[in-house]
Amino acid sequence: MSKQEVDELAKLAEKPEVFAPSGSFEAPVRDVKPGEYYAYAEERLPGITEVEGSVEADLPVSPQEKLATQGFSLDRRDVLRLFGASAVASSAGCIQRPEEHIVSYIRKPRDQVPGVATHYASTCDGCASSCGIVVKTKGGRPVKIEGHDEHPVSQGALCGVGQAGLQALYHPERLKGPRVRVGERLDETTWDDVFERIAKTLGSKAKIGILTGAPSGHALEFYKEVLSNMGQGEDQLYTWEPNGLFTSIAKAHEFAFGELDLPRVELSSAQLVVGISSDFLDVGTAPVFHGKGFSRGHAYALGKRGRFVAFESNYTLTGAKADERHVINPGAEVLVTLLLVRSLMEEPGSRGSVAQRKQIADILELQKSVLDEAYAKVGIEKTVFDELAHSLLQMPSVILAGGSSVFDHNATQLQLAAIFANILIGSYGATLMFEDGWMPCPVVPGDLKRLLSNAEDLDALIVVDTNPIFSAPPSWEVRKVLERIPFVVSIQNFPNEMDDVAEFVLPNNHYLESWGDAQPVAGFWSMRQPVVRSTTNSRQAEDILLWVLAYMEKSLPYKDYRAYLRKRWQKIYDMSGTKVSYDHFLQAVTRRGFVGRLQTRTVAELSNVRDHFRGLPEPLTELSLISPLDSRLHDGRYAHLPVLQEAGDPITTITWDTWAGFNPHTMEARGIRQGQVVKVKSSVGEIEVTAFAVPGVHKNLVVVPRGNGHQDHRSTISYKNGVNPLPLFLRAEDRYSGQPVTSNQKIEVVVTEKRYRLAALQKTSDIGERSDIIKKHSLATLKRNFNKKRDLDHVPDLFPKLEEGEYKWGMSIDLDRCTGCGACMIACSVENNVPQVGREQILLGRTMHWIRLDRYFHGDLNNPKATFQPVMCQHCNHAPCEAVCPVYATTHDEEGMNAMTYNRCVGTRYCANACPYKVRRFNWWTHKWGEMGKRQMDRNPRAVNPDVTVRTRGVMEKCSLCVGRIRDAKHVAKAEGRKVKDRDVRTACQQTCPADAIEFGNVKDPTSRISSLRTHYRAYTMLNGDPDHHHYGLKTLPSVNYLAEVTLKEAPGKKETGSGH
Amino acid sequence: MVLRFCWIALTATCLLMSGSSYAWWMWTPGDHVDDSTQNMFDYGYHPKQPIDFSHELHAGKREIPCQYCHSAARRSISAGIPSMHTCMGCHQYVRTDKEPIQFLTQKYQEQDPIRWTKVNDLPDYVRFSHQAHLGAKDHEGKLLLGEDEDQVCIACHGPVKEMTTYAQWTPLQMGWCISCHNQKREPESPGAEPKNFAAVSCNTCHY
Repeated sequence: MSKQEVDELAKLAEKPEVFAPSGSFEAPVRDVKPGEYYAYAEERLPGITEVEGSVEADLPVSPQEKLATQGFSLDRRDVLRLFGASAVASSAGCIQRPEEHIVSYIRKPRDQVPGVATHYASTCDGCASSCGIVVKTKGGRPVKIEGHDEHPVSQGALCGVGQAGLQALYHPERLKGPRVRVGERLDETTWDDVFERIAKTLGSKAKIGILTGAPSGHALEFYKEVLSNMGQGEDQLYTWEPNGLFTSIAKAHEFAFGELDLPRVELSSAQLVVGISSDFLDVGTAPVFHGKGFSRGHAYALGKRGRFVAFESNYTLTGAKADERHVINPGAEVLVTLLLVRSLMEEPGSRGSVAQRKQIADILELQKSVLDEAYAKVGIEKTVFDELAHSLLQMPSVILAGGSSVFDHNATQLQLAAIFANILIGSYGATLMFEDGWMPCPVVPGDLKRLLSNAEDLDALIVVDTNPIFSAPPSWEVRKVLERIPFVVSIQNFPNEMDDVAEFVLPNNHYLESWGDAQPVAGFWSMRQPVVRSTTNSRQAEDILLWVLAYMEKSLPYKDYRAYLRKRWQKIYDMSGTKVSYDHFLQAVTRRGFVGRLQTRTVAELSNVRDHFRGLPEPLTELSLISPLDSRLHDGRYAHLPVLQEAGDPITTITWDTWAGFNPHTMEARGIRQGQVVKVKSSVGEIEVTAFAVPGVHKNLVVVPRGNGHQDHRSTISYKNGVNPLPLFLRAEDRYSGQPVTSNQKIEVVVTEKRYRLAALQKTSDIGERSDIIKKHSLATLKRNFNKKRDLDHVPDLFPKLEEGEYKWGMSIDLDRCTGCGACMIACSVENNVPQVGREQILLGRTMHWIRLDRYFHGDLNNPKATFQPVMCQHCNHAPCEAVCPVYATTHDEEGMNAMTYNRCVGTRYCANACPYKVRRFNWWTHKWGEMGKRQMDRNPRAVNPDVTVRTRGVMEKCSLCVGRIRDAKHVAKAEGRKVKDRDVRTACQQTCPADAIEFGNVKDPTSRISSLRTHYRAYTMLNGDPDHHHYGLKTLPSVNYLAEVTLKEAPGKKETGSGH
Repeated sequence: MVLRFCWIALTATCLLMSGSSYAWWMWTPGDHVDDSTQNMFDYGYHPKQPIDFSHELHAGKREIPCQYCHSAARRSISAGIPSMHTCMGCHQYVRTDKEPIQFLTQKYQEQDPIRWTKVNDLPDYVRFSHQAHLGAKDHEGKLLLGEDEDQVCIACHGPVKEMTTYAQWTPLQMGWCISCHNQKREPESPGAEPKNFAAVSCNTCHY
């Protein structure tokens, strides 16, 4: 590549506007250096040998080595164990040892060095938010997915679902090959047979449709092209996305501004956030992006802190983070928003054009009588709204409404009301952004309804990776309708309910095996490239369609989907205006993972939406049911992933199950006890589910999350965990978006005599009298003590002094930032080969998580405040566990770490008993896939991380502070003749945290971030008393410290813990 | 009295003998040895390889540097073995009449990789990095183990240049590793406590 072209590429990256205001979007295209992200190695684009040449030119190679670049071997630890190659014992002379083999490469791929990880940039497909990811591969196998540091959506972080992507890739129950229906059964067949038969059948059909989930990037256009090639209209493409938030927001913006589009929410610049039943930190529309923004805009920094006010009836993970949380009556969201709009209109200084204000005033006038009475119906006084309206106009702020815990007839109306409020506070252009650029909304509102009404005429339907039989309420009769369609082909990854109706079940590639792209924000493109060949006999859905077309002799001019993308990206190339060749451009984009230029545009004038406010909803007064999406399993599409099942719900900590969440007072009034099975009845259905007290839930609400209750017996992991609450919902839809209603269903609850134990990870939510587990400071206290420093590592004691080296590793966890999403738990499990143990073992208290997420409630049971606290091994300098180990299996190293040596451990479990933090985990079994009866799962032998020892039965284990990563960083530093720098090592939990709550580094380095955090006034160590009052608690001197949560107000009548004297 | 003493002596002898035979049984390799660990009888391990590759010829007589073939050693935990393509780089011209070369060529043409038997093998709970040992530098950028890379290889792998087919040279056991790690460096200043040559905490290698 010439110098000029490199400059061009760099210019391409400079954008007129910054995507994340904090400046995180600084990603010039760089020339590739070793260790950076690589494009797909296998089949490079033609005509790009110069780029490859530059790869080699950058490597510091000796002449001999240059000759030997083809030399390669597979290392035992990296590859043979991954493949599960059995070690055959042989006897050679008197030696008894396992015989292991090294298989040589025939020809070494250029970007592979045995034992060195190769990273590929790609795009996650876990949800529609399309985070950028970097996939670490070793020996050609993906071993870890991490957030792409430079990608503006993920900004280096990733949620739990993204982390669990690997488990889906290596899942033993993935469909192994194409299947065809023979009577009741699905029999294996070959791809040739499949294509031949499908093409033959489709050739004779008049009306063919395609149903997809939310297709990303160009896939939507691709499907349309396929349909038109089959002689079908574009309207034969149907989409189905169970997360109705997308459709309702998009639809409301279509009504208001004429464009079906989602705004980008810049929470990082919002100092005041108002959430009205919003779950933006939870399942929402872009949890990682919002989590990053929220922690920047909201968490304590330099004496300042944002404010978050939530109005909700369910207790969501998002609401748990609120500084002020108001419990409202179910179904009152629209009224709450309009009351806020009313207060904003009355407030001097509120924004909005004359016409907009006129329209809003008209609507308020029209509903004056309703709104006058609404304060009582909602359950909140007018002064609250007035104060909020005043504050909203004082600072950059945003109002977010709607989420999966409220999806009723008025979901779109709620979004329209929120648009009014945002217009009045001037959010559009400040915290809510629209960009120029082509972007069709991935989901078309009302498509499921359209499919059901058109299904009569359909002769054939191709379903791509979506399962409406499970994720739509049964009252919509999707199953019956699909059964009536004569020919259904389902392309999916795992066995699910679609198997019952499909003629052909075809295995789809995992997204790590596929080409693709996504457009998370208009004008911004993210590339997806395969990092591994198909691990089963599967094919990419788009390629399957191309093959079918080829067999129908109506082929498109593309060899595969990649070729299609290549053609389509020409448009993006033209828009970019770069002068480098198209091949170079594609190569650079693939390598870097994304390209884009954002141009914020102003929104159009508000259209006339008066008609949408003719009627307003009445809040419900009887007991009603809501079924939010599960924050891990979503609509149930991830119910087969043990790592997500076992991470549990963040609020209740319940794993592997469905529960009915009640307000504790409601349970008492109705005589329901914790763990008692109740019958929940509606006019259309009835389920039995276990009652569980969730403080903070409205008294008239029963919360039964979706996600579990799959009925396909071929999937042993998702089968029969909990129940599906959707059969209780009447066939009803959001008035404007046509999405099925999944909340505010009138129900009856009948108590039964049965009891059932729910496997909750945390047995208590009460801290009791202890003041040194969770600490809180008010903002005023922190301002008073702004310059005061702490010294956590020196307390008066009689212990002998520890040996110390040049490093002392420490970790700091900011409780003010932690939102309790639990991505750290899942990232840790994936990185450290932590097994999943199943419900029965969790009931016995045998969880294996190296990090657990403790959740404590404070205050009123009707509206408590929650604090989340990730707890891992605290790496105490005076560790109680080390003193009791009879075999020196756990020892202290000179870098401040508490080392666990598995091969020494004999399993006395003395250490676990001595540990005051309860973080040590004992392997009661050798957990592996294949013993599904016992629910002992995880560990596909191929799926383990080769850098971490796999533990077997009888061994104690615990958090190692990702010592493998420290060693890797040290090896690199040593080779370069320097010390390990700050942020050279990032632990798995720190790396993935969307809130940046976790910091890790060398405490002895005075310039490191950790050393400034560890001496911060907020810093404290758990169970180590109150140093301000010369109470030193257990004096364990942990290397892990916490940063106290920050409250905006002084706790009334309570002495501030840890305040300075 | 004498009789009693004789009994005691006899019993003691029996106990001693059974004890020692038990110890003999315990420490002698055989069927009962745990095959997941290595033992002190490991050096000299000399398995049959698919090709009787001679290090003596290649590294000794022809003086090919170790890292010509094991090129990953300097930048990876693993030293690696050459791909068949590397072998063929020379052997498409050299000694094509020999039987092993014909075997190699045939395998290469069939795209069928060779399964070598691993000689230097560590248990799965040990992490060893070639890069850290070969390329270890001090803070002044000086190579700790000397400039002659081939000499560094020889330190653990033995006089490879003199071996026809390779056999394990060193025990590769923890005590043997520690014997180097535990050596003291020259103290930085006179009177200062000398530091270890390398770290000896458990999690240096076990994690």
